[in-house]
Amino acid sequence: MSTISTEEQTAMCESFARLLAEKSGEAQVRDAMETELGYDAALWTSMADMGLLGVLVDPAHGGIGGGAVLLEALLEEAGKHLLCSPFISTSVIAANLVAASDDDCLKEEILGAICTGEMIFAVAATGDKGLWTTEDIDLRAETVGDDWVVDGSASFVLHAKGAHQFLLLAQTTDGLRALVADAEQDGMALDPMQANDPALRLSRLQCSGVNARLLTGVDEADIDSALNLARIAQAAEHAGGVKRIFDITIEYLQTRHQFGRQIGSYQSLKHMAADMLVEVESAASAARHAARAWDAGADDTQTLVSLAAFAGADAYRDVTAQAIQLHGGIAYTWEHPAHLFWRRARTGLWLFGSSDQHRETYLASLENA
Amino acid sequence: MMALEKPDSDEQLAADVNAWLDANWDDARRCEKGADKLDVRSWLTKLLESGYAVPTWSPEWFGLGLGSKQGRIIDRILKARNVIGRSQDRYNLGAVTVYRLGSPELKQELLRDMLTGSFSCLLYSEPNAGSDLAGVRTKAEWQAGPDGGEYVITGQKVWTSNATEATYGMLLARSDWDVPKHSGITFFIFPMKQPGVEIRPINQITGESEFNEIFISEARVPARYIVGERNGGWKVLQTALAYERLIMGEGATERQGKEKGAEPPLIQLARKHGKLQDPVLRQKMAQAIAYRQLNALNMQRAKAEILANGSSSLMSLGKLAMSRIQHGEARVAADILGAASLLHGKDHPDSADMNFDSAKAYMNSIGGGSDQIQRNIISERVLGLPREFEVDRNMPFRDVKSG
Repeated sequence: MSTISTEEQTAMCESFARLLAEKSGEAQVRDAMETELGYDAALWTSMADMGLLGVLVDPAHGGIGGGAVLLEALLEEAGKHLLCSPFISTSVIAANLVAASDDDCLKEEILGAICTGEMIFAVAATGDKGLWTTEDIDLRAETVGDDWVVDGSASFVLHAKGAHQFLLLAQTTDGLRALVADAEQDGMALDPMQANDPALRLSRLQCSGVNARLLTGVDEADIDSALNLARIAQAAEHAGGVKRIFDITIEYLQTRHQFGRQIGSYQSLKHMAADMLVEVESAASAARHAARAWDAGADDTQTLVSLAAFAGADAYRDVTAQAIQLHGGIAYTWEHPAHLFWRRARTGLWLFGSSDQHRETYLASLENA
Repeated sequence: MMALEKPDSDEQLAADVNAWLDANWDDARRCEKGADKLDVRSWLTKLLESGYAVPTWSPEWFGLGLGSKQGRIIDRILKARNVIGRSQDRYNLGAVTVYRLGSPELKQELLRDMLTGSFSCLLYSEPNAGSDLAGVRTKAEWQAGPDGGEYVITGQKVWTSNATEATYGMLLARSDWDVPKHSGITFFIFPMKQPGVEIRPINQITGESEFNEIFISEARVPARYIVGERNGGWKVLQTALAYERLIMGEGATERQGKEKGAEPPLIQLARKHGKLQDPVLRQKMAQAIAYRQLNALNMQRAKAEILANGSSSLMSLGKLAMSRIQHGEARVAADILGAASLLHGKDHPDSADMNFDSAKAYMNSIGGGSDQIQRNIISERVLGLPREFEVDRNMPFRDVKSG
């Protein structure tokens, strides 16, 4: 599926890691958290310059034509550095759904602008319950003459502030469909939802008579598939983040002394560390195998995506929680980075479906007939 | 002994092996009874002389000097044709230990016998030396005599499988009580068939009896049957254990591979008992099945890493992960069965299976190093965390508290 070589992919991940080390250190993440946008626009431009924003976009539209495996590897790096950005909404969900459309003009217009970093997408894909299921979507789209008009509301809208376009999932007489709408128009009312993770930008969206363009040729299966890709991307961020906070914790166990010895020599802490390692490695294995299955179009893609989604989210939640506990008082301070990972982990538990939902989907996918 | 020429290519090797088997191995005879019954020892002798029993060993010691990749090619062919005695350079623990760590004289004396049907059992654990294996108290006392003399062995060993069939025991015994515990242990190849060796089967909580206790009372082992140095047994043991883990790890990844594609047994059990739609049970089933699949994915990654780099730290996670899998699956199975899980016996086969599995799960979580020891190993060897202070580490063993 991917048109670029393994060596090029490795090189790309390495340069992304270097960029993040330089531009997405802890201090910069804290700065980005305080901004209105919630991310560093200059870093976004650098990512565009490296071709990262078009990782999934076909070279014909200015992208690099990578697949889920490359996306996964890149987002492990992003997760390690707690990258704040509208990457998943823009370069994963919107890019994937627009590319799935048969409207060549629209693709031409949007995909190129995604690659250059000039077009940032907000994604409205769930209702007030935040279930990310078809039934949960409260936006409705209908045709008025030749045009599409969207009404209703959406919650947990990702990166609405500063977005140029909205990707809207809406109910239609033909079932669930995806549409794009200009951010700058009347009838689009945004209400920020304050998040526990200060890096996360969520909004409630109220649409009344919003003009939108239907992504023709995109059906419910394509939408499921795009959300699955977002789940792989998020699982990769989890895998990277959980590895990083784990490494930080192990280093602390080796350097912190109490009662005249390294605290990492106490079995009660060592045993926690060993159990955490199983979770850390399982999260990575699950995310990577899900990405591979996606690229191969394997029969068990849904099984592996759901597994990666809940295994990654639960591992991140549990390991970050244990990391704070193992650090003791120092990690109870705002200045210590552990809580940044902990907050990010709690974000991932709910975006694109909960672990319980993913477990249900996983089990259903394993049942014969 | 007959030394075969090194093959030019893997294809040539496979062709050579198959041609040799065509001429020498008759799979049908394996199951014959009476006059046509296969004489295992003469077959193993023939296999040994072909070099295919231990192909990665040096030609001086029954091998062909091949690499591990070519060894695996031969293993696959022998396995596919049901050949008895394949890959003893990996699976015959006693012979591997003698080959790797024994003196040339010991190899000369024992290897041929060990590779032609005289197998070995393990005499490591004792009632008071389980997780703390360096605390063995079986006595080895030297007595003068020809050929370096001999050792008189007295003590008790436990958790030995295949003890009645074994010709040799890989024995860990205390040869010096006045030095710290790791420094006074000697590793012997101990002849099992002699007076003073009593084997008693252990009845397990599963109802099975796979293991034995071995009571050793003034039994003898020649001094020349020491592997490595006298009092250097701990080091030998570490190498022997590493081979053992390697075999167990390979077995685990092979077993994992077979399960792909089939509907997980917990789903089948829930359907059979009308519980497949219970939302609480569905969550539990999903989690239990996920742990197994995650471990399989980790082991696939481990395999890929071993192929690429020769080793993988992921391998050491498999055993610990397996404990959670096995105990967890048995627990969910009990939840699916409900009150019927109280029942047992042949009239209640699903409950009986679940009860068996829930007991059998301890085989993994205690046997071969308990989960707690496994966590120590992972945190020390993989994560580099320091060892916990050990009270008895530098104390003469005579003064160490036991019980």
